[in-house]
Amino acid sequence: MSEQICEEVLVFICRNFIVEKSEINLDESLIDQGIIDSFGLVEINAFINREYGITVKEEEMNRDNFGSVNKIVGFIERRRISK
Amino acid sequence: MCGIAGILSEHMSPEERTDQVKRMIAALTHRGPDGWGYFTSSDITLGHTRLAIVDLNSGDQPITDGRYVIVYNGEVYNHPELREELLGKGAHFYTRSDTEVVLKAFEHWGKDAFTKFNGQFALLIWDRKEKRLTAARDRYGVRPLYILEYNRGWYYASELKAFDLIPGFNRSYDMLRLCEHGLLWNTIGDGTVWRNIRCLASGTIETFSAGSIPVRTRYYSLGETLFNSAQPIPETMNEAIDEFSAMLTDSVLLRLRSDVPVGAYLSGGIDSSVITYLAHCLNRERFKTFSVVFEDKDYDERTFQDDMVAAIGSDHTTVKIDYDSISDNLLDAVYHIERPVFRTAPVPLFLLARRVRESGIKVVLTGEAADEVLWGYDSYKELKLLRFWNRNRASLFRPHLLRALYPHLRHYADSKQFGLIKMYYEEFLSDYDNDLAGLNIRVNNNKSLVNFFNRDAGLVFDKNGLIERLREILPPDYKKWSLLQKNQYLEMYTLLSGYLLSSQGDRMSLAHGVEGRYPFLDHRLVERVFAYPDKFKLAGFSQKHILRRAFADRIPSSIVKRNKQPYQAPDLKSFFRSGALNETASTFLSPESIEKYGVFDKRQVERFLKKFERGQTEIIGYRDNMTIIFLLSAHMALYWAKNPKIGQVHDSSCTVAIIEP
Repeated sequence: MSEQICEEVLVFICRNFIVEKSEINLDESLIDQGIIDSFGLVEINAFINREYGITVKEEEMNRDNFGSVNKIVGFIERRRISK
Repeated sequence: MCGIAGILSEHMSPEERTDQVKRMIAALTHRGPDGWGYFTSSDITLGHTRLAIVDLNSGDQPITDGRYVIVYNGEVYNHPELREELLGKGAHFYTRSDTEVVLKAFEHWGKDAFTKFNGQFALLIWDRKEKRLTAARDRYGVRPLYILEYNRGWYYASELKAFDLIPGFNRSYDMLRLCEHGLLWNTIGDGTVWRNIRCLASGTIETFSAGSIPVRTRYYSLGETLFNSAQPIPETMNEAIDEFSAMLTDSVLLRLRSDVPVGAYLSGGIDSSVITYLAHCLNRERFKTFSVVFEDKDYDERTFQDDMVAAIGSDHTTVKIDYDSISDNLLDAVYHIERPVFRTAPVPLFLLARRVRESGIKVVLTGEAADEVLWGYDSYKELKLLRFWNRNRASLFRPHLLRALYPHLRHYADSKQFGLIKMYYEEFLSDYDNDLAGLNIRVNNNKSLVNFFNRDAGLVFDKNGLIERLREILPPDYKKWSLLQKNQYLEMYTLLSGYLLSSQGDRMSLAHGVEGRYPFLDHRLVERVFAYPDKFKLAGFSQKHILRRAFADRIPSSIVKRNKQPYQAPDLKSFFRSGALNETASTFLSPESIEKYGVFDKRQVERFLKKFERGQTEIIGYRDNMTIIFLLSAHMALYWAKNPKIGQVHDSSCTVAIIEP
């Protein structure tokens, strides 16, 4: 399951922010890597809502959930289970 | 305003040199369509093309007085006072022009003359006796001057296109500089994005003699009077308001000095409204104002422009801009801009200048530079907020101030997105106060461009290297300044001189022979306000606070109270319609073009363009807008470098020809 979500998240990031999968460090912040800016976070949020029906709450918008690709994937998984 | 060119080379015959300078001048006639002239000797040739504004009858150039010969592009507004002073010292004048005053001032005071000038200029003065050329440029780099060392000679020109007509010379990008420009909106120091071409740095003088290395002297640096001004700094806001209003009024008064009528640009913001208001009060005749209006309501400011026009009763003209106006004219605008840009915002000003000229006006006042001098940019707010938040990182309240940062950006105001914005800014808490100050955020937003360059150039993003290079140009007192003063210095040396005054200023208005004048850039005012306490300029989050307070009773309240809306035009939207690139953009960004120019990575650009073929989102982010305009304009600028327009000057319009045996 998590592999599939990870793949979907990566496809979105690659298409939307014009990077190669091989250029993304899955454990590092996408902002630090220069892949996204503040609007990129907004776009990722919209993607999560659109694809997985998850409305991210304000208190969930933090680095523990958005700080890397792996953290984003983990967050999506947790929220889908608790749904 | 005018265009100047010159060649200093003893390895060419005077005839060959004269011929080349005439070709260079022919490429600059849009800057000065009212006549041209030249000087030539065994060492040097200087050329000039004139826009007649002061002393219409006898102000033709070059001017000589025996020992010195000058070609000059600009205005020194305090020329009547300097003339009086020089007359008192025994000088004789043959014309009423400010050019002669500049020449006599140089003759009398030498390089110290430049510290006495209040104005905007770039000039070349040839000393026949010492066989030495002096080049000088105004304090803030309003007027351009480029320098090329080629074929054992020095070449000088107001615009780069003049160099394209030198036999054998081809303009090409310096990829490292291009990347630096991509990150900062300007190159550092006196470099340009073009290989082997540099500019004369603002506030400097250089002297050139055949066969020796040029000698540079800096005669002005921002903040130079901060720690040694004899005049005490106003202690209260009210005292500062009185002083500031008087200085700004005097600055406008000086900039109304002209032998032709002066008009003004009215954007709808407070800066141009204040300038227009003051010009209206000082000018007894009915005043002409000009504005851009947009079909796309997201960019349109006409209600505010109308409020101001109603308040002063000006004779108002508007130019209406739609997506086609942008996409149809970017290529022609880039012909004049001569470097990549990040926004299409210069294009409407290009079209506005054309209308201004058609209406018979040659000189306009604008509100440019108020955002730098009085701290109107969001970078000042961002820094202030980060500093406040950093002092108590655990505070739940402090980051909430982020909501006030960009009221015009929908995604920032949306409370549902607040956590994301907080997360983004948190990244800057650790290094917001390094030497890049407010540029940290710009560099971070722009660094995705690095991936677009041709991989063969081997460019990588290196923030520390960038900071190191920047440190080389910082003034000695920089470390002693407040964080926001540092930010002003950086904004003035990057965005203001690299974009606003050049790409969006000088080049757009002079494309149609219109001279812009900038009252907020009077150096007396800039220096004085630089020394005011930070809170007079940014009080809480009230930007340009002193300006708002000073003119609150005189400008319509709708304008004083409105949120800042940066002047912008539709970027990506102008080129991407119904899921497809329009013709201009598809030609310039085709795989063949990318191959031919060799600047960008083909695959990266293809993937970027594909993103929009799948349809546009409702809101387009800064990065996507910036990227497409950067890619397009970089190719367009190179297109013009490779396909120069060849003009011709006619003997019938030659007003001065000085040929020295």
